[in-house]
Amino acid sequence: MNGKDPKSIGEIPLSRIRNFCIIAHIDHGKSTLADRLLERTGTVEIRRMKEQLLDAMDLERERGITIKAKAVSLHHWHNGELYELNLIDTPGHVDFQYEVSRSLTCCEGALLLVDAFQGVEAQTVANAYSAMDHNLKIIPVINKIDLNHARVDEVTTEMEQVLGIDPDDIVKCSGKAGIGIDELITAIIERIPAPSGETSGSLQAMVFDSHYDDYRGAITYVRLMSGEVKRGDKVRFYRAGVNYEVLELGQFVPERKPVDKLRAGEVGYLICNIKSLKDVRIGDTVVHANDTTVEPLEGYQPPKRMVYCGLYPSDGQDFSELRDALEKLSINDPSFEFAPETSEALGFGFRCGFLGLLHMEIIQQRLENECDIDLVQTAPNVTYEIVKRGGEVLEIHRPQEVPDSGEIEEFRQPIVRVNFVLPTEFIGVVMKLCQDRRGILRGNEYLSGTRALVSYDLPLAEVIYDLHDKLKSVTRGYGTMDYEIIGYENADLVRMDILVNGKRVDALSVICDRRDSDRRGRAVVKKLKEEIDRHMFEVAVQAAIGARVIARETVPAMRKNVTAKCYGGDITRKRKLWAKQREGKKRMKSIGSVDIPQKAFMAVLDTGADNK
Amino acid sequence: MHSDLNLLKTWGWNHHHTSPPIAAYVHIPFCRHRCGYCNFSLLANRDDLFERFLNGLATELSELQEPRPVQTLFLGGGTPSILPPPLMQQLLALLRHWLPLSKGGEWSIEANPLDIRADSLHLWKDLGINRISIGGQSFDPAKLKRLERDHSPDELDRAIEAARSVMDSVSLDLIFAAPDETPEIWHNDLVHAIHSGLNHLSTYGLTYEKGARFWGERARQIIKPVDEDTELEMYLDAIDTLSSHGFEHYEISNFAKPDQACRHNQAYWRGDSWWAFGPSAARYVGGVRSVNHRGTLEYLRRLETGCSPVIEREELTLDQQWRERFVFGMRQLRGVPWQSWQSHVPANVRESINQKIAEHIEHGWMHEIEDHVRLTRKGLVVSDSLWSEYLD
Ligand SMILES: Nc1nc2c(ncn2[C@@H]2O[C@H](COP(=O)(O)OP(=O)(O)OP(=O)(O)O)[C@@H](O)[C@H]2O)c(=O)[nH]1
Ligand code: SF4
Ligand SMILES: [Mg+2]
Repeated sequence: MNGKDPKSIGEIPLSRIRNFCIIAHIDHGKSTLADRLLERTGTVEIRRMKEQLLDAMDLERERGITIKAKAVSLHHWHNGELYELNLIDTPGHVDFQYEVSRSLTCCEGALLLVDAFQGVEAQTVANAYSAMDHNLKIIPVINKIDLNHARVDEVTTEMEQVLGIDPDDIVKCSGKAGIGIDELITAIIERIPAPSGETSGSLQAMVFDSHYDDYRGAITYVRLMSGEVKRGDKVRFYRAGVNYEVLELGQFVPERKPVDKLRAGEVGYLICNIKSLKDVRIGDTVVHANDTTVEPLEGYQPPKRMVYCGLYPSDGQDFSELRDALEKLSINDPSFEFAPETSEALGFGFRCGFLGLLHMEIIQQRLENECDIDLVQTAPNVTYEIVKRGGEVLEIHRPQEVPDSGEIEEFRQPIVRVNFVLPTEFIGVVMKLCQDRRGILRGNEYLSGTRALVSYDLPLAEVIYDLHDKLKSVTRGYGTMDYEIIGYENADLVRMDILVNGKRVDALSVICDRRDSDRRGRAVVKKLKEEIDRHMFEVAVQAAIGARVIARETVPAMRKNVTAKCYGGDITRKRKLWAKQREGKKRMKSIGSVDIPQKAFMAVLDTGADNK
Repeated sequence: MHSDLNLLKTWGWNHHHTSPPIAAYVHIPFCRHRCGYCNFSLLANRDDLFERFLNGLATELSELQEPRPVQTLFLGGGTPSILPPPLMQQLLALLRHWLPLSKGGEWSIEANPLDIRADSLHLWKDLGINRISIGGQSFDPAKLKRLERDHSPDELDRAIEAARSVMDSVSLDLIFAAPDETPEIWHNDLVHAIHSGLNHLSTYGLTYEKGARFWGERARQIIKPVDEDTELEMYLDAIDTLSSHGFEHYEISNFAKPDQACRHNQAYWRGDSWWAFGPSAARYVGGVRSVNHRGTLEYLRRLETGCSPVIEREELTLDQQWRERFVFGMRQLRGVPWQSWQSHVPANVRESINQKIAEHIEHGWMHEIEDHVRLTRKGLVVSDSLWSEYLD
């Protein structure tokens, strides 16, 4: 930054502001590249630098992925003039796709990163198209060129063929090795247009994100489309219809840095004494409280919950503790939702909605880290629609809600368009994978001589359970996928129930395709047989559709369990062991007098696909 | 005598104590080699440590501060009989000083058949030992090999014979359900034992313990354990065969001719208190259960540097004491005198135990005979599944 302090320079004109985000397939190096930009512009001192600095959440660091988009303002001298570069680092995982699309509306440009070895992948394609839809200036970047196996030429061809990118526009760099960073900054300044917008017009600020601070309450992330906002201004959150005073406003550098005002074209934050994130609607427009003429900006689609599961405290006593914990989590993550529900088998708990399986895993891990409650989780399912004979439409979030088959006119399930990017030699196995899951082929094109893009329409249920794992295993890790909801379709679905010693266990019911039910029934009861410990009596596990039993396994009664030795030292050991068993039992759910371990509630996910 | 260690207090001793322990266990952690199924605290082939160990043990015993008379004393291991005569003399003298045996007391030693000779027997006997427990395990040559024992069937026969001629009471340990063992092999062992003139037998189903070599070999499927039904058949055969030949089945794994039950071991099951010394030794004094470090070298290092060898200590509440007394008492076939206990047991414990008993009687796993509750045969074989419900 050439030794000049940006503060002393005064206001940077709009023409020297650049707003851009970094988008890519997961792990292609977005956050690492952001590190180099922070470093090269002197935003963060070298000694305070650490890898993927913007991935500040514990879970992000632990998992090595970005979960939440982050905004940060950089200042950089270029040809003797000071520029403000507002960067948004986005997550690559498909579950957090909505974060990317929100970020796009705040920018005029996007760095589209492609890993020099992995090449164009499913999320690359999805993100590139999204950015084009938003009319962003795309700077194509081949990243990780330091890799020994970098395939720069082939990847260039892929980008050209699939995304229609001009090879001459591609910037080649390495975030890790710090190669090509200056060229990239120059490209950002020279190619991305300055924001348009009138500083003098009415204030219109897009709320594109928010997070919760224990001391300050909700921190609202905004991109100003027009006008200005200053500390002390009275503002209105247009759609929420609530007025607040702006207590503090500023930019992220990357920690919060208060400034006196934010202007059209800038990205920053507002603090207004808002107690809960629930009161901040992402996609809302912030305007001046007394401005009656201004229109709101076009908002975002709220993120859609794709996956639901039940979470129950294994000890009923912990119900209200669990509620508090979920409440706290949802304050920090409005994309997660929950509502109380009851199950005959599990008692009182919550039905929770997630953006996808990774999101579900993350919420669960947070629950585990942040509170000491033993949880029973039921198998995840998608949202179904049922049209009843009378024409009434039901949204089904859990199998227990499925009415008797006699009342059902139509049973619909969500269908997604799945795009696979993979080396051509795996096309056959991936097609088989999809056909086994009743997929319909929608497209198959070559990206280059060696890689292809294959599209299928598949039931979402088939996708979320294990398709990603299966894809990785059949393509030895080289295949990637991305999906988007395209609608609901009628299907031949049934609810399969599980009976333990003749008693239906509601939390073990699943919805599946009738043609799969026999196979799944057999797989599930077999798995349950493995999970349920032997009891002092025989335990029968059955799968049934309506009154028809389709599979059965028996856990034989325990025949012998007696410790041979029990002398002085053994007493201490035995007592501990039995006390532990007792604890373990407490954590199991007792159905009739059968103890079912927590893990067993996931057993219903076993599709039996491997033993077709 | 005074010491900074003050282990007496750690052990749970207090002066208002009305009933001091009248039983003591001493662990001798040495064997010639380690059998594949064994995970006890011991060092194999470390004769060089014998003397150092006796010194450490002397330090630990001196923490008793004054001689504490006992009615039963049990020398276990490892293989206590491994000590050569001079060291054995030294050990027994030490114990006679700190833990003098009351008149009519029972003093047992665990012995390897190879150590049981007329000369050693007389030495032990002269110094006060009157009961011997022989680690024989089987009379079948192949089974002995499989169990990695270092003696032959003949050597075992000779050892029993010699022991009987010197000791008041001779007991034999037998293992069943060794890998590849058939019910016939086991039955032959039982019959052979019956005809050997023993007063006491302990029978143990082979268990696979973490820390023993067999554990890993089973996991890697080098060893195939006997299936559950066969093991059950063997266990029931032991009960039936021994019972019909004058042995009383008095505890899950123990059988005795009339009046020959091991008095020392009964102290454990009755919930009495006892002293214990040596690595891994567990004691119960004044309502406190405590355990020594199980590493022999660490045990010694600690005592040599004035540190406590105790690594685990737990003070039981009155509730817990009663719950344990019930559970471990029930290992005895005669059961526990529950009716006469009731008035002493805190109400909440009494109620929850009563409720469980009623449930388990209903299932046919227990029954009441006069004032005793005891296991039925059906309950006996699955009894470990019951106990967790009685402990809180
Ligand atoms: N060799 C090499 N490795 C890199 C480079 N950039 C990133 N990596 C490595 O790639 C992995 C992913 O890097 P991130 O920066 O976390 O990738 P990301 O795109 O932000 O990942 P998500 O946010 O989870 O989508 C890390 O192990 C980095 O060390 C690079 O230029 N060269
Ligand atoms: S089984 Fe007995 S002889 Fe074998 S190692 Fe263990 S203690 Fe020593
Ligand atoms: Mg990242």
